[in-house]
Amino acid sequence: MTPKPSGKFEAAKETWAARRARYADRLRPATTLSGLPVKTVYTPEDMADCDLEEMPGAYPFTRGLHPDGYALTPWMQQMVFGYGTIEETRQKMEKMVAEGMEGYFGHKVFNTVYDVPCMYGIDADHPEAAGNLGQCGVHMSTGDDYDELIRDWDLETTNFSMITGDNCLPALALLAAAVERRGEPTQKMHGNSMNWYPRIAVQDIPSWEPRWGYALMIDLIKWAKDNAPAWNPANIFMYGLSEAGATPVQELAYGLSWGKSIIDAGLEAGLAPDDFIGRLSFQIGCTVNLFEEVAKFRAHRRMWAKICKDAGVTKPSNMHARVHVHTSGYVLTQQQLMNNNARITLQALAAVLGGVQSVHTCSYDEAVGVPTEESHRTALRTQQILMWESGVRDVADPLGGSYFIEKLTDEMEEAAWEIYEELEASGGYLRGLETGEIKRNIDNASYEMKKRINSGDLPVVGVNRYVSEQTENYEPFRIDESIEEKAKARLEAYRSKRDQAAVDQALEGVREACQALKDGTGPLMPALVEAARRGATNGEMMVPMREAFGWYVSE
Amino acid sequence: MSQERIKVLLAKKKIDVHGRGSKLIARELRDAGMEVVYFRFGVAEEIAEAALQEDVDVVAVSIMTSGQMQVARELVPALKARGMTDVLVIMGGIIPEVDFEPLRELGVHRCFPPGLPGGVVADYIRENVGTASLA
Repeated sequence: MTPKPSGKFEAAKETWAARRARYADRLRPATTLSGLPVKTVYTPEDMADCDLEEMPGAYPFTRGLHPDGYALTPWMQQMVFGYGTIEETRQKMEKMVAEGMEGYFGHKVFNTVYDVPCMYGIDADHPEAAGNLGQCGVHMSTGDDYDELIRDWDLETTNFSMITGDNCLPALALLAAAVERRGEPTQKMHGNSMNWYPRIAVQDIPSWEPRWGYALMIDLIKWAKDNAPAWNPANIFMYGLSEAGATPVQELAYGLSWGKSIIDAGLEAGLAPDDFIGRLSFQIGCTVNLFEEVAKFRAHRRMWAKICKDAGVTKPSNMHARVHVHTSGYVLTQQQLMNNNARITLQALAAVLGGVQSVHTCSYDEAVGVPTEESHRTALRTQQILMWESGVRDVADPLGGSYFIEKLTDEMEEAAWEIYEELEASGGYLRGLETGEIKRNIDNASYEMKKRINSGDLPVVGVNRYVSEQTENYEPFRIDESIEEKAKARLEAYRSKRDQAAVDQALEGVREACQALKDGTGPLMPALVEAARRGATNGEMMVPMREAFGWYVSE
Repeated sequence: MSQERIKVLLAKKKIDVHGRGSKLIARELRDAGMEVVYFRFGVAEEIAEAALQEDVDVVAVSIMTSGQMQVARELVPALKARGMTDVLVIMGGIIPEVDFEPLRELGVHRCFPPGLPGGVVADYIRENVGTASLA
């Protein structure tokens, strides 16, 4: 495949070597963020072992999932948003649609983030919710809230991605009940449950004991398979790994091992490979390190396809690594805030050159707080400029065939397999969670990177280079604290109009179903959907769940 | 004070996601020779109780997903109520610069933006521990 070095090439190399001889030994060897060595020049010789006989849209999908890349329809613009109560967020949804945010073929995509009390599973009146209600996400906990979320949106052409935490089963149950109240079948539901229970290696908040986390995750996957077949029931949260400090190679290795652990748990629970693996999807981080990120996305698709094939998947589209990129927030700096726009542009460019399916661009002021209307719109427009002005969507896998990118793709794959195989051999992701090994390795990588930033070895403009003493005094978006009273009032109004005896009975049903899930004798989701129909809230459903499935602090 | 090991309670709300910054600071303060107790709390009252029990010199609160004002409003009186008026109170994380002064008025001695070398925080602690007052 690789052309044999010709006399012409040999002569060119000699000229090259002669021209650099005087200074070559002074060049400082560069590495990627993952520590892989980078040469100053790549040539056809570097591709000697690369398999270049691939087309986009065919196994193993290194060059992309679709035969023509973004030519048929561009990537989904899935901006994360959500604040206040559903009333404020509903207005924001409408505004985002008006701003042109859309998914495939003009579908609506709402990537809605919950506030941390909801994710953790406490309602507005819980003492620990104070100070966080509606702040970094929307507070949605009642049937009324979910009715308002879906009001008037066409379920066939609207995607509801719900950025939940431990509450993803109750959240899905509340959505299903709202769809039923509208007189429509849950089969019409489109969207995504995060199902991030194994995320305790990357976000340190207390969560289920790992083994019960997996039982809950599979319960949701099974319910969705039977009741909402177009629903994406689990998202593999590689973004969490990299934001916690994993290098891009570690992110690949641990993320794919995380995915493999879901496959294993599903197969063990009796699901057939082609019944659920194709519905798994990924959220991946993206730093400013352009070429390493492009290579990462290419290697990721190929590695996941191989894992799926080995697991028994037969249908090629079920081997697709469908990827949503959330540009890294960690790389944004509070110093010289506007510089972040340059970072975000590079991150989004890397994601798109890497051929991902969906992008969230952070706003430049996220290092300060929740984005303003203006910064959020600029982040969306950054994607739209890439989409419509830059020409990057015209050609599939435009960097394919680059000596450097092909070599780096192979090298990252090899380095990631090494970590992956070692973890698999020692019991896989679940065991790595239980022993804390994954978290320790990520924390150590984060610490090493911080030391490099502190010493100036890893340049960060505005932080350790070109530092300014000038303060920014940037006024971020504020969610008025009166939102807390509003959220509580909404909760109280909801509770006062329901049949409390029916709610209590349904919650008792949840309690029993939790035990049944633990015993392996029955599912939990149907009991949660029934509780949601009767009027139970997000926080109320979480009480018996927390009692049943342990509460695991991993720090 | 300068002869003894400085003891820091590094507190973060249970529901405050992403622990990267707080864990880095914990490690960097330890590198600077301090004893660090890392603690996840539910309500601010629990920080004050832990600070008392651990007899710390410094209470540091890490914020990622907001709530800094609410924590400060409850934490400082809770420390005072326990007689801990000479403890140094600092905050850091995703906190807007424009909140630094209002937080100071609530009794937080100093706020730090994210991403600083831990040594900067350690230097501040060394220079100010023992001289602070919440009175």
